[in-house]
Amino acid sequence: MEIIVKPKGGNIDKMAEKVFMESINILGGLKKLVEYRNLTWLPSLAEAAYVVVLKNEAFKTYGEIAKELGITEQTARNIATADEEKVIEYIKGTLEEKPNEHIAGGIAKLAYRKLKEEGRLEEGEEVVMKNDEIEVLGIDWAVHALVRIKGLDFPVNKEQLEERLKGLVIKGKKAEEILEKLEYPIKSPAELLHKIKEHL
Amino acid sequence: MVAKYYELGELESRAPKLFGIPTGTKLDEMFYKIEKEGDKYVKKPLGGIPHLAVMNLTGVPDSGKSVLAEQFAITQANAGYKVLFVTVESPAHFLYTALKQKSEALGADFSKVEENVVVIDASESEELRENPRALLDTMAYAIKEKKVTNVIIDSITGLYEHKEMMARQIVRQFFNFLKKWRQTGIFVSQKRSAQASESAEAAGGLAVAHIVDGTIVLDKKLIESRWDVSLYGLPIGSVLRTIRIDGCRMTGHDSRTWVFEITEFGTINIIAPLNEYIKRRRVGKEE
Repeated sequence: MEIIVKPKGGNIDKMAEKVFMESINILGGLKKLVEYRNLTWLPSLAEAAYVVVLKNEAFKTYGEIAKELGITEQTARNIATADEEKVIEYIKGTLEEKPNEHIAGGIAKLAYRKLKEEGRLEEGEEVVMKNDEIEVLGIDWAVHALVRIKGLDFPVNKEQLEERLKGLVIKGKKAEEILEKLEYPIKSPAELLHKIKEHL
Repeated sequence: MVAKYYELGELESRAPKLFGIPTGTKLDEMFYKIEKEGDKYVKKPLGGIPHLAVMNLTGVPDSGKSVLAEQFAITQANAGYKVLFVTVESPAHFLYTALKQKSEALGADFSKVEENVVVIDASESEELRENPRALLDTMAYAIKEKKVTNVIIDSITGLYEHKEMMARQIVRQFFNFLKKWRQTGIFVSQKRSAQASESAEAAGGLAVAHIVDGTIVLDKKLIESRWDVSLYGLPIGSVLRTIRIDGCRMTGHDSRTWVFEITEFGTINIIAPLNEYIKRRRVGKEE
C-alpha cells in the first residue's frame, strides 16, 4: 500500500511569486516601473500577491491571512475584495480620481485571474519573467524576504529577523547590515519591508 | 471572456453511463434504475453507488461512517480497481491495520487491496490538512500516476474543522476536482450530535449536502427507556444502528430507514428496513 505523506504541489510561495511577477507585467513590465520611479509599489504588490493566493488557493480566512502576513484583517479584506476593473481603469488613466480600492490588491487579483485562466498558476514552469533579470534589477527581495519570514510571530526583534534573513542580499547589501540600522520591535511584515526599503 | 453554452444534444457523448460501483453492502441494491421491459417499466438494482457520483456519508461519532468507507475501498480494490484513500483523521498505519482486518473478514485478497489502495496521509501533515490546494495537487498526482478511479476522503469535515464559514468553498473545490478527474467519490462528513437526524444538518450540514450528488445518513439509537424496549424489541442499553439514503440526484433509490449492524469483525451488515425489523422483533417476542 503506497502512502503519500508529503504534499506534491500547491506551493503557496511559488504561486504568490508568480502572481507578483505577473502583476509587474500587467503594469507594463519592470522597465516602465523603473522609468516612472514606481518601485515603491513593490512591497504592497508582494503583500497583495500573497493575500490573493492564500485566499483563493489555500482558502484561508481573513483572520488567518492577517495573522500569517502580519497585516490587519481589514487590509486583507480590502485586497481580496478590490475591484479589479476600477483599478485597471485607474492605471490606464481613464479614471480622473483615485478609486477607493486597494490598488495593489486589484492588480494582484487581475494577475491571479489571468494566470488561473491560462492554467499557468499550478504549472511547474518558472515565473513569467526571467529570474536573472529580476535579480539583476534587484526587485525580488520583497518576495524573498516574505518567504523567509513566513510563520514568524510579529512583533519581532532584531535577533529573530537575523536568524531568518541571514545570507539574503538585498540590492547588493547584506540583510544583516540593513537589520543593524532598523528600529525595533517591528510590528508587521509590511513595516519590515518599508523599513528595509528606506535603508537601501 | 467568451460565454460557453451547450445544445443539450452536444452533451450526449459526455454524459456518464449509469451503472453501480459496488460497496460490498446491501446499499448496492438500494440504488436502482428504471428500465423498459416489453411494455412495462421495471426497477433494477444499480449494483452500487452510481458511477462518477460524489456521495456524502454522514453520521454522529461512532456511527460506522469510516467502517462503510473502508468496506467500499476493500470491495473496489479487491475487484482490481484503484482507490485513493485520503485519511484526515486516522493516521495511515491505523488505516492499514483496519483494512487488513476487514479484508480477512470480507474474504478479500489483502495482497490485491495492498496493491490497489493508495493513501494520502493528511492526518499527520499540517500542510495537507490546512492548504486545500496542496492536497488537491497531491491527489491529482496520485490519480494520474496510479490510475485511480475511486476516491474516499475521511473526513472532509477535517479540512474545515476550525473554519466552518469556508466549508462551502472547500467542499465545492473537492467536488469539482473529483468531477474533473472523473472519479467516483465518498466524502465522510461528521454530523454534530446536537443536529436532529431529520433536519437538513443531518445530511452533513448545509455546506456539504447541497453540493454533493447524494447523501447517506448513518445513525445510532441507544435503547434507554421502556418505550424503546417495547417499540424496538431490543434489550435496554443496546444500540440500534440505522442507515438511509437521504437523497441522490443521479438515480432512484430506496428512501426507507434500514437497520444495520457492525459485525464483530468490523464490517457493515444491513439487515432490514426499520418497520420490518420492528415487526419481526415483535413477532419473535410474542412467539
